[in-house]
Order: sequence, then structure tokens, then C-alpha cells
Amino acid sequence: MPSTDPHSPIIGDGPAYDAVVVGGSLAGCATAIQLGRAGLRVALVEKQPDPKAFKRMCSHFIQASGVPAIERLGLLEPMEAAGAHRPRLHMWTKWGWIEAPPERAARGLNLRREVLDPMVRSTAAETPGVEMLLGWSGERLLRDGGSFAGVVVRNREGEESELRARLTVGADGRDSKIAELSEVPVKTYPHNRIAYGGYFEGPPPQHSPDSTIWFLDPHWAASFPTDSGLYFYAAMPTKERLPEFKREPEAALVKFLADLPEPPPIRDSRAIEPVLGKIDMTNRVRKPVAPGLALVGDAALAADPLFGVGCGWAFQSAEWLSDSVMPALQGEESLEQGLEHYRRRHAYELRGHAFFIHDYSNGRRFNPVERLMFSAAARDPRSAELMEAFGTRQIRPQQMMPRVMPRALAVNVRHALAR
Amino acid sequence: MSASATESPVERGSLLAGGTRARLLQAGPVEASEAVVCVHGNPGSADDWEGLIGAAASAGRRALAVDLPDFGDTIAPDGFEHTVVGYASFLGEALKELGVERAHLVLHDFGGPIGLVWVAMSPEALASITLIDTGILPGYRWHKLARIWRTPVVGELFQATATRSAFRMLLNRNEPRGLPRDFVEAMYDHYDRRTRKAVLALYRDTDDPGSAAPELTKLLAPRDIPALVVWGEHDAYLPSSYAERQREAFPSADVHVLPASGHWPFADAPETVERLLTEFLVQQK
Repeated sequence: MPSTDPHSPIIGDGPAYDAVVVGGSLAGCATAIQLGRAGLRVALVEKQPDPKAFKRMCSHFIQASGVPAIERLGLLEPMEAAGAHRPRLHMWTKWGWIEAPPERAARGLNLRREVLDPMVRSTAAETPGVEMLLGWSGERLLRDGGSFAGVVVRNREGEESELRARLTVGADGRDSKIAELSEVPVKTYPHNRIAYGGYFEGPPPQHSPDSTIWFLDPHWAASFPTDSGLYFYAAMPTKERLPEFKREPEAALVKFLADLPEPPPIRDSRAIEPVLGKIDMTNRVRKPVAPGLALVGDAALAADPLFGVGCGWAFQSAEWLSDSVMPALQGEESLEQGLEHYRRRHAYELRGHAFFIHDYSNGRRFNPVERLMFSAAARDPRSAELMEAFGTRQIRPQQMMPRVMPRALAVNVRHALAR
Repeated sequence: MSASATESPVERGSLLAGGTRARLLQAGPVEASEAVVCVHGNPGSADDWEGLIGAAASAGRRALAVDLPDFGDTIAPDGFEHTVVGYASFLGEALKELGVERAHLVLHDFGGPIGLVWVAMSPEALASITLIDTGILPGYRWHKLARIWRTPVVGELFQATATRSAFRMLLNRNEPRGLPRDFVEAMYDHYDRRTRKAVLALYRDTDDPGSAAPELTKLLAPRDIPALVVWGEHDAYLPSSYAERQREAFPSADVHVLPASGHWPFADAPETVERLLTEFLVQQK
């Protein structure tokens, strides 16, 4: 039996696990917690040896749609106790602000990954049945006939070991090695924006503690008040702006935010750490299952971070996978059936949103339908509420469109006649 | 267009320069020989600058703007040349008349070519330059409206049918946020028969607004004149890609491409432009 000491080199030819999860970030830990709590034996493999490691390039904003999954994990209260904000969204558009009525607006979560990641990882490590293997990375997949049957892991000293499991889960992010090794089909969609952001201390931006997003069409910017009195300021301009951001990231970010309409007080603030940027954010959509294998989080669907869906979808996809394969891993149905449930659920919940996100991520400006919807939402509280529910991923496009489009038309006709 | 509550009051008057009685807006210490000089574009008038003049004066500067001949309330005398050189000469006469020996130029639109030609005539008199949706335009091809104005008969027809509502619609159509109603109305009030005629003459005489770019760059770049460039990203007439290119002539330029603005940033983002200009002026000796 492998050791429970997170730093010890383990493994040998120990007994098979019910699941081996590769990737100890949000999606991987959430999967391991859910499966472990169901009485299953889970190996959770994370390449970073430090249990306090965290993802640095992330807006950390969690959409309201992700909050129930977090609550189910029992993490909502600890996150709030650690200073997480529960922001509503205020969206600037050239037609005005889109703000759902406060009493009906959904609330997301803002907690820095520096705080969140160790919290989620320690929760996973403390979950009975979960064995945390820090400092190990997935190298090769094991096969049993036509099905995947675990993974060969390697530590930094080059030692290798086999982790045999009935289910292998790839939770290793946008550039998932597990996905690559499994050769699941992948579709890519170009991304033509860059992302730069950093944490600042200083006077609170407008709407604080709520979050503010500027849809500058085609650029984008945001301010996210978060724990410890800090504010995460972010810009996602199209790639034409890359030279100035590359030259001086912090100066370019400050200038970009300060020149916004109704700007946040970034010029009177101080960056507490270097401003970071990301240039390649190609959208990747992978088939989330293969025989004996599933992908969660960004490994399954890496979407444009502009819409802040990554963290929430990590928690949600982990929940959907756990719920789908639990009966199979407990011997009530075949794993094949469980994985098929997950594939369908993943597609049902995310495909529509992903379509819109990928389509907009090429850096284009709003199309006529988007202009109609955004302008109506800026002019009409009910339209704003529907747009906000869609934007925070609480309703799917197929639920939103029939309700928003006729109303958006009526609102804009009324607006034109009143001028 | 005033955005700040602390701006200095702007006084209205007139001056006689080169035989033209021109309307003048001015604020700050009028005896100063160094002044912020704002040059409007087309269609435009000294009124475009009221907010910025007030803001510059609040920063301790003498600031002024005049209606160029046949724009605003200024009537050009017979024989006035509606050309870039003609307007630049008028600007030089006006500054002489006003006792301005050193100018912090603030240029917009067609005020750019006019102001830059004046700079070429008197480079030593330039203290700093602020380019708002204008500048040195190498390789520029006239925008669609200009091509209409430059075409005989078609241009006249266009001007004759430019009603208030058509004018309003045309201007706002290309502006990302739309322009303030009173700004557009005031602009149309000045867009009378004389102005329409002057516009046709000026555009028809200007075959290539970027033709002087190499000479200007050669003249200005070694001087590394303090420069502020403000450009609305969604400018439909002068592409914002020219903003960064101003560094070719003004190597130390502070360049701001405003992501939600169009051709008139001082109208759709007055607070931002006033902030940028006053901060820039404060930095100048």
C-alpha cells in the first residue's frame, strides 16, 4: 500500500485504485474529494511537490454557476472565512451598464488562487481514501486490452511507478499530457486576445466588493476585488496590443485600465507582485472520455478565460464526473455506462456556452445578435437579468435565446422610437 | 464639453489676423508668451476645445483656440486660400497677433496637417505637441467621406443634402458610443454654407495628407519634442494604427489609444482626455 506521506516516494506494485487522478489542482482535487467521500480508493497525482503550489495566471473569478458544486464539497464556508468575496457583476458596454437588479443578481466567488489551491488540496489530502502523491507526474498510460488501466508516474529523481486503477482521470489542465497520451479527439479554436493581470492594493474600484467587467468590443478589462483587501486588475486586448504589454507589462496594464471609461483607481494603486501575461490561449475541446479514462476541467474543455469559466467549470465537471461514475465504481453498472453519462452531461451543460465563447475568442467585435442583446440588457433590467444569468452560466444559450431575443428587439425598437 | 468642476473660466473674444477677424476662446494668464494652442479639425470650431482650454488654464497655462477661417463664426476674407498652407499661415499670423512665442500645440483631425505645417515653418516655437486623432500620416488614403468631398459635383451634392438629421446620423454612425447631442448640434450649427464650401476646397487641395511625412519626420525626430498622442481606437476616419507611428517623428511620445472612443475622444471621453492633457502639460517646463 502506498504511503500516505505526501512527500514519500511510494508505490511499488501495490493494489489497484478505483481511480487515479492526474493533476492536483481544482478539478483533480474536487474529483478526488467526491470519489473519496463515496468510499473509493483514489490516487491523486500532482507534479508540484509543494502542497501550497497554486496557479499564478488566473483571474480566480468563479462564476455563480460553480458555487453549488463548491458548496457541496463543503468549501464555501472555509472560502468565505478565508476572505472570499461574493460579488455580483457589473458590465460596462458602450450602451451603458448592464446590472441585474441587486436582489436577483447571482453571486460568484473571488478568492485568490494562492489561498484557494492549498485549501482545496489539503481538503483532498485529508479525505479518507484519497492518497496524495506530490512531486509525481503522469508519464505513460497503462492499458488493459482496449481500455486504459492507470498511469505510470515519475518523480523528479526519475523514479517511476505504476498506479493501476479502474478509472484514470486527466485533470492536468489546458495542455493535458493525459489527454495527449490517450489520443482522444481534440478540436482547437483560435484565440486572438492576450491576457495580462495582477494584484494591486489601493483605493477600492467602483462597485467594490462587486466585480466589474468592461466589454470594450473587441477588448476587455476587469476589476475583481478579492480577499486581503486586494484587487485583481486584468486586461484582455486583442493581439495588436501585445508589443506594449510585452515591453512593460505593469505600465501597459495601468495605462489600459486608467484610460477606460469610468476607470478604476489603478493609478493610485500599487502592484503587490509582478503583472503576469498569457499569450497563447488556444481553445481546446476534447472528447472527455475514452475507455477507462475521463478528462475534467481544462483538460476536457479549455475555453477563453475572458468569460471566467475555467475555475467554475473545473468544480462542476468534477462533480458531473463523480456523480456519473460513482455507481459504476461501486459495482452497480459498467464503467462504460458511467463514462457515457459523463460525456452526455458535459456536452449538455457546456456545449452551448462553449460555442459562443469559442466564436468570440478570435478577437472579433460583437456580431449583430450580440449587439442586440447587450444593448437591450443595458436598457432594460429584465434583459439585464437574463443576460447576467447567461453570462454567469446559470442558464444555457438554448434557455436564454428564446427569452432574450424577442424582448431585446422590443426594447431596442422602443428605445429608437423614444429618441 | 467641460468635465471638471475646477476648470478656469473661458473668455470669448476675437482677434484680427492676416485680414481675418477670428473668434477666440481663451483662458489662463493672457499675458504669457507661452500658450497651449488648440487647432480644430473638420467639421469643428474653437468650441471643440472649451473643456480642454479650461483644464489647461487650471494647470496654470494660458490656453486658447480660434475658429479657423470659414469655420465656426469666422468669415474668411476674399482671396483667402482654403489650403493647408493657407490655414497654417493664418495660424502663424494669429499667434503673432496674440503674442504667443512658444506653443504647446493641441491638434485634432485636419488641425493636424495645418498645425504640423506651421511647425515646419517655425520649429523653434514648438514647446510640445498633443495629437488627438491626427498626426503624421504616411501612406494614408483618404476616408470615404473625404473621397466624396474631393469629387466634383458629388461633393457639392453631398453638402447640399447634409440636413441636420442626416449630419447627426452620419456622425454618430461611426462613433462607438455616439457623441453628446449638444456637441453634434453645435457642430451642425456651424456647418453653414461657407464651411461646406471651405471643406470642399480644403479637401480638394489636399491630395495626400501624408505626403510631408518624410520631411516632417526628418525635421522633428532629432528634436525629440515632448508629445502626447491620444487616439480613439474606433476612429473611422483616421485609423488608430497611426497612434504608435507618431513615435517615428516624436520618439518619446506618450501614446494612449482609448479603447472605447472614436474620432472625437475629447467629446466621448472628456475626463480622460482632460486628465491626460493636464498631466502632460504639468510635466512640461
